[in-house]
Amino acid sequence: MTLLQVVVGGLLLGAVYALFASGLTLIWGMMNFINFAHGEFVMLGMYAALLVVTWLGGGPALFALAAALVLFALGAAIYFGLIRHVLRGPMLAQILSTFGLALVLRYTAFWIFSANFVSLPQTALSGTLSIGGLLLPVPQLAAGVAALALTAGLHLLLTRTAVGSQLLAVAEDREAAMLVGIRPDRMQALAWGLAAGSAGLAGALMATAYPWSPSVGATFGLTAFITVTLGGFGSVPGALYAGLMVGAIQALSAYWLGPIYKDVVVYALFVALLWLRPQGLMGRA
Amino acid sequence: MSSDHWRRAGAALAVAALLAYPLAASSPYYLDIGVTVLLAAISASAWNILGGFAGQVSVGHGMFFGVGAYLPLLVYTLWGWPPMAGIPLGMLLAVGLAALIGAPTLRLTGHYFSMATIAVAELIRILVGTWGLVGAAIGLQGPATARGWWDLTFRDETPYYYIFLGVLAGVLALTHALQGRRLGYYMRAVKAGEAAARSLGVASRRTKLAALALSASLTALAGSLYVLKTGFVDPDSGFGILVSVQMVIVAALGGAGTLYGPLVGALILIPAQSWANSWLGGGGSGLTFVLYGGIIVLVARFEPGGLFELRRRMLRWRPERSRAA
Amino acid sequence: MLLDARGVTKLFGGFRAVAGADLAVADGEIVGLIGPNGAGKSTFFRCLAGDLVPSAGRVVFDGDDLTRASPEAHARAGIGRTFQVPATFADMTVLENVMVGAFLHHPGAREARARAREVLDLTGLAPLAGQRAGALGTPGRKRLEIARALATAPRLLLLDECLAGLTPVELRDAIDLVRKIHRLGVTLVIVEHVMEVIVTLAQRVLVFNEGHVIATGAPREVVADPAVIEAYLGRGYRERTDPAP
Repeated sequence: MTLLQVVVGGLLLGAVYALFASGLTLIWGMMNFINFAHGEFVMLGMYAALLVVTWLGGGPALFALAAALVLFALGAAIYFGLIRHVLRGPMLAQILSTFGLALVLRYTAFWIFSANFVSLPQTALSGTLSIGGLLLPVPQLAAGVAALALTAGLHLLLTRTAVGSQLLAVAEDREAAMLVGIRPDRMQALAWGLAAGSAGLAGALMATAYPWSPSVGATFGLTAFITVTLGGFGSVPGALYAGLMVGAIQALSAYWLGPIYKDVVVYALFVALLWLRPQGLMGRA
Repeated sequence: MSSDHWRRAGAALAVAALLAYPLAASSPYYLDIGVTVLLAAISASAWNILGGFAGQVSVGHGMFFGVGAYLPLLVYTLWGWPPMAGIPLGMLLAVGLAALIGAPTLRLTGHYFSMATIAVAELIRILVGTWGLVGAAIGLQGPATARGWWDLTFRDETPYYYIFLGVLAGVLALTHALQGRRLGYYMRAVKAGEAAARSLGVASRRTKLAALALSASLTALAGSLYVLKTGFVDPDSGFGILVSVQMVIVAALGGAGTLYGPLVGALILIPAQSWANSWLGGGGSGLTFVLYGGIIVLVARFEPGGLFELRRRMLRWRPERSRAA
Repeated sequence: MLLDARGVTKLFGGFRAVAGADLAVADGEIVGLIGPNGAGKSTFFRCLAGDLVPSAGRVVFDGDDLTRASPEAHARAGIGRTFQVPATFADMTVLENVMVGAFLHHPGAREARARAREVLDLTGLAPLAGQRAGALGTPGRKRLEIARALATAPRLLLLDECLAGLTPVELRDAIDLVRKIHRLGVTLVIVEHVMEVIVTLAQRVLVFNEGHVIATGAPREVVADPAVIEAYLGRGYRERTDPAP
């Protein structure tokens, strides 16, 4: 029973991983670009939630929405101010741009909020639910379920709506998309907005359940990258399966080996994966 | 003709200044800055071979630096050997590590390699921090007082300055020699266009692996030098993100892929960082990193070729302007 | 046969880009591959150059099976190629670009430089030796690609649309260069979608349509072939001129 408890807890967190990994995979799929600051977007979502709760009050729906909107705007602004200018530049510039951005965001947060761990004040989401002997803290449960729904929503947005097909058209063939009247620049900015927005949302959801500090972004960024590698670059369903898997593996390694090893096991798994299937578990050969 | 003349005079002057600096440095503080500049130039030059010339951007080079830093103190702690004896071991281990990471990832796109380097560097940092044999989170300590000259433990920093200067000269000479040889041309070709390079018979993966191995071993050497000077290392000072970041930023600021770019970057960044730290009250507040990140973003956005490229463009721009006038 | 490709097939997902194409090239020939856009000739070309591994079929060069060999192994075996979109090393000089090719058989820098200078003289690029390749225009870059490939001393040179988009004067120069290379004993396979050019250069052409080789023979016979006319001008044209199915 304890083992089941551990796995379910891991899966709930894994659903949140899936949500923010989807953003990373979207940008990779459209622009062949890895955003090194993606984990920092998650971290900023957490602080955005904290600021909204402290200043405005309100429930989880309000601060989650606020975090999503703020990060959406930030993502689009970063696209126009920075990414657009380096996309066609040398590889070094592409990698350094978001890498430098990650440092700026992470350590500005350090400077403003200090390195201490914080958590959200008690919200409406508290207590524990008992389902068939399984004890589920309500915040974790809510975050996991919401993340699952939102990841599915993002997938539907990409595959079932007009905007989604325009995004995919740009990913498929930029020039051809331009010929049919799609403006790739706008679509790419939208992709950055969606990616950052979903990361911010994921951050706000996690903030309800876990304490955090400015340095969590680095770990989340790596987790997202490994999730995307596992799930195959450019695939939202792949990110979902892989996110759930990473969450479960982390929870089990923390349970069996000790909490320090939860990231170690995932990173080691990643290195093993590089050797065995560099194109990802569900990726194309 | 005259510009060549000037260049030679300038180079002679620069060498003389580097040689005479410890005599002119009025206090240990300034001497320490000099030593730190040289060390940063060595590690950034080592990074530059892979990241600058071969175009494979590692942002986890701290793993090689850390290996180089740990091995000398490990052989001292375990067996009482002089730390120096750990230097070749560290370089060898770094090459092995490079092969382990490079063989699978260098087949993939550049972004992928970069992200993989961070993941592996983090993995190693965390593992070292939990491994009792290598001092876990506390780290390792070198000999407090020298048992003989072979311990290379000096109270004054002047000997370190000249040792580091000699190593820097060696690394630059090696890089220069590489530039003129087939491997150097192949590295630049792979960076400029892998498919085209392969169509001309360049074994791109082997070329990238060679660059990585050379870069990793020299980075480990830089780590060893660092630890000879400080006599102490822990997971963060050896494998931490700052170590990796500093190599990239120093090289990129001066000019990645140029011979002297890393030295120029170190000459600017290290003193600037030192002054910034004394103004902003130490590196603990994180503002140093904000500054680093900001510089990286600005270089990437406006001048990915670094200061050398900026200078080259300005030199080209001037005669055209005068002709038009 | 210098090059013998049999039954080369390339699938992308379910799409059959090349379906069982055969090509045998004798030493000293000039062969043209033509066909409308999307006919599969570029995919076939990339299978010959080692860019793509065919889904089925065999590519044998001078007795060695290169079907699954890497691009660099193709270069070592003696196959040079150019790219449809010029892929010169922009930040290197013209001389350095050619030296990268010359290093294949001249590992020392001095010998490679000397060999590269010979190739620059041959291709008329010598006056531009010290220029950055990125500063060249498209015709210059196409010429540099040929020079670079030539520096690897290939026995077979694969040219991918190296003549497309040139002005008449540039075209004449480029055709002269191709003839000069041929006189040196290099066998050539040339992909073009402009038929006129190939007709003057090639001794034999293969016409691709929808992944298949639909005609092969001397240029003048092939351009008169109804199947070729239909491929280029569309079914409507044939139906109007040839009512019998």
